[in-house]
Amino acid sequence: MNQRLSNNNDTSLTDEARSPPSTDTITNFTKVQHVAKQVVLLIRRLSTGAGFVSTGKYRMRFKTSLLKEPKHKELVSCVGWITADEVYSCSEDHQILKWNLLTSETSVVVKLQEDIYPVDMHWFPKTIAGKKQALAEIFALTSTDGKFHMMSKTGRIEKSVEAHRGAVLASRWNYDGTALITAGEDGQIKIWSKSGMLRSTLAQQGCPVYSVAWGPDSDRILYTFGRQLIIKPLQPSSKSLQWKAHDGIILKVDWNSVNDLILSGGEDCKYKVWDSYGRPLYSSSPHDYPITSVAWAPDGEVFAMGSFNTLRLCDKTGWSYALEKPNTGSVFSLAWSADGTQLAGACGNGQVIFAHIVEQRWEWKNFEITLTKRHTMQVRNVLNDAVDTLEFRDRVIKASLSHSHLVVATALQCLVYNTKNWNTPLILDLKEGTVSMILQAERHFLLVDGGGIYVYSYEGRLVCAPKFPGMRTDILNAQTVSLSNDTIAVRDKADEKVVHLFDAQTGKPIGDGKPLTHKMEVMEIALDQCGASNDRKIALIDKNNDLYLTSARRLGREQRMHKIGSMVHTMVWNDSANILCGIQDNQFTVWYYPSAVFVDKDLLPNTLFTKDASEFSSAPHILNYTGTQVTVRRADGSLVYGGVPPYPTMLHEYTGSARWEEALHLCHFAKDQALWACLAGMAMANRELNTAETAYAAIREVDKVQYIKFIKDLPSKESTLAHILLFSGQVQEAEATLLQAGLIYQAIQIHIDLFNWDRALELAVKHKTHVDTVLAHRQKFLQDFGKEETNKRFLQYSEGVEVDWEKIQSKIEMELAKERERAASSSVGSSMASRR
Amino acid sequence: MAKDPLAEAGLHFDELNKLRVLDPDVSQKTTELKEECKDFVDKIVQFQKIVGGLIEMVDELAKEAEKEKMKAIGTRNLLKSVAKQREAQQQQLQALIAEERMQLERYRIEYEALSKVEAEQNEFIDQFMLQK
Repeated sequence: MNQRLSNNNDTSLTDEARSPPSTDTITNFTKVQHVAKQVVLLIRRLSTGAGFVSTGKYRMRFKTSLLKEPKHKELVSCVGWITADEVYSCSEDHQILKWNLLTSETSVVVKLQEDIYPVDMHWFPKTIAGKKQALAEIFALTSTDGKFHMMSKTGRIEKSVEAHRGAVLASRWNYDGTALITAGEDGQIKIWSKSGMLRSTLAQQGCPVYSVAWGPDSDRILYTFGRQLIIKPLQPSSKSLQWKAHDGIILKVDWNSVNDLILSGGEDCKYKVWDSYGRPLYSSSPHDYPITSVAWAPDGEVFAMGSFNTLRLCDKTGWSYALEKPNTGSVFSLAWSADGTQLAGACGNGQVIFAHIVEQRWEWKNFEITLTKRHTMQVRNVLNDAVDTLEFRDRVIKASLSHSHLVVATALQCLVYNTKNWNTPLILDLKEGTVSMILQAERHFLLVDGGGIYVYSYEGRLVCAPKFPGMRTDILNAQTVSLSNDTIAVRDKADEKVVHLFDAQTGKPIGDGKPLTHKMEVMEIALDQCGASNDRKIALIDKNNDLYLTSARRLGREQRMHKIGSMVHTMVWNDSANILCGIQDNQFTVWYYPSAVFVDKDLLPNTLFTKDASEFSSAPHILNYTGTQVTVRRADGSLVYGGVPPYPTMLHEYTGSARWEEALHLCHFAKDQALWACLAGMAMANRELNTAETAYAAIREVDKVQYIKFIKDLPSKESTLAHILLFSGQVQEAEATLLQAGLIYQAIQIHIDLFNWDRALELAVKHKTHVDTVLAHRQKFLQDFGKEETNKRFLQYSEGVEVDWEKIQSKIEMELAKERERAASSSVGSSMASRR
Repeated sequence: MAKDPLAEAGLHFDELNKLRVLDPDVSQKTTELKEECKDFVDKIVQFQKIVGGLIEMVDELAKEAEKEKMKAIGTRNLLKSVAKQREAQQQQLQALIAEERMQLERYRIEYEALSKVEAEQNEFIDQFMLQK
């Protein structure tokens, strides 16, 4: 290997050509070695049968803690977080306990009356649309006697409401805290106001409702109906959605507001993931015992599932990160803390189990970072096996590693590390505790918390905080926010067709302030990362899974959306060149030069690199595309890597710095049609006609070569520009350019050439010139095709005008001569000017 | 033999020539009987004592046996439950093994994918050097 690498260094090509394969290969090779080591370790452990208690290293898992003796005497029915470190638990021994995780103290909040057996609890939501809630903290507690109670933090029953016959099995506040929903053993679902007044009975059915959840906008609810799930909108007129979800009674459901996915678990011992249309996304293999609880982490990236002596941490796509077998009895209820790092579970044997996520991993190039403990990270450089340990004051909530920087958000601070120096981080104090997302670009990074979106530079300066009316930051995720060096894109939640674009330097909306509106609901957006800010492109996937590309900076006029792919489920831009990769149907596709659609639509299919995606199995998700390597997460959770040839990146680099000669060399060297097509597009976009001619010739587009030749022979700058615009199909712009330069005949001529007769005549009449030219060409056209004139306007004008081809020819000659003369004089003028 | 008028009157003389109301023979026999009876009672008492001890001992034994029996039953039950416990443990371990297996499979796939990438890149480097 080393031999080969050193040989490679001796090759005579330019540095750029040499470096990408070699460094990548080293990184990959070490990675292979590392994974191999892990596999060996794992096999050894499996074969010796030792060490089952601790699950695999370097894999996200729960670290659980249980007391030796349970604090409750009876089974614990429900738990709820009040702050990041305090949990309330209610048990059938009528006690409500408060657990403080910092001091590890447990205190009795209140001992309820003997006849109250708690079933479910839910804390009143803390933040309402970004504003901090100043109200007294209360929670709703339901009991088996058909009542629900509004309880204060101190355990005082503020109000008891007779709600159902039989037990009240579930209660949930909606996201803004304006309504409480309860579900009972009597099969009814009722909505209550905050003060406990009955608003309406939403549903009535013949069997108990075991669980209920609000939809992301609090406008729909999801509840169980035996083996079926029902989504019911609150508006009485709209239709509800019902489907059979399990083979046994469904015991718990949850609906995440960030990713809009539904979780269900039932007596058939399976848990399942659904989208909000009821389409199945994942179904687990059967467990040994019924699934008694499921809960989404607030950020929607992972969820937890509980069963008899079982606790599982799963990815949002359903596969399981880790399994714990604690001695808990059945886990009846699970609750995540607001920051999504800790979990509490109500256990059947009177225990309350606490768990936090550890061994989360981040990878970027040759760095591998693991969260070893709550407050500690380990950084490993796989190239030299150097290990650094990062210690934090508080719990790590979120982290992101990309573009040579590690950004870590803890409960109170945000720390920024450079990969060159792990010793001295830059520290920012956070106003609001829980950061829900970190996005990175080369120049700056973006933090999202309950209060807003903030862009910070890597030097720690707050660059901007973009806002738009109706912004809800609690539901933003990586699919709906995108960041590049100069632009921020955020998809609207109220109207999913709308994408808001902001300037990353000022935080102001781009252009005239009108957001980008697509004709369909937009599911995923991504900004390209390189190049000039004026060429910023945004790729978006809509509800039909069509992939569109459009310009993010629209200078005045409305830009068209170009469809560049269909059946696209996932896409990612490259980090070092504007190359887009995605999985289209069952093909792994790389758009070497997606902007080709703006220059020459026909080129696009030629610039694609496709590979069979069967190795990625079904529903893969592209994690990142760094350098020449694409990382894909398969539906079963395994990581798969795909290589993309390094040439297009290099080509982008050459053309970006206008090194056309080298670009041509590269294409000659690589002998790849797709590369030539890219070069053709890039050259045309940069009006580099000579290169474009060669490139088009290489991909055998004779007509285009001819046209380019014709353009090259054009006498004036304006008509050259117009024809280049015409080349990429922008007729209006071409016409405008010509008219502006006073080249009316040429403008008319392009319409004649396009058989755009009406417009040609209109121009001629408007400018009172060349009407006869238009008519003559029209006549000739009709003659050639043996047709009669039917157009009224042409009939009208042809009456008064006599067609004389000779006269017309001479007139055209005159126009062309005039243009040539003008061009010559202007070029002399400009050269004079430049000389001066 | 001439009838002893004294005897007829119910009076007798014993060897010590003391006047007796009872016939000395009878008297002697009575005394003997009395002695024998006393002996008998003594023996019975002794017997009772021995039997009492025996019964006590047997009772104790019975108790002991009972205790042992209960112990045996308990142990037998425990054994049964241990088997069940083992089963549960085994089940748990099986679940964990399945989990690890899945992870192993993931690692295997990742390893294969990386090996493939490595092979591809090696091939690329080879080609690259040949073409130059």
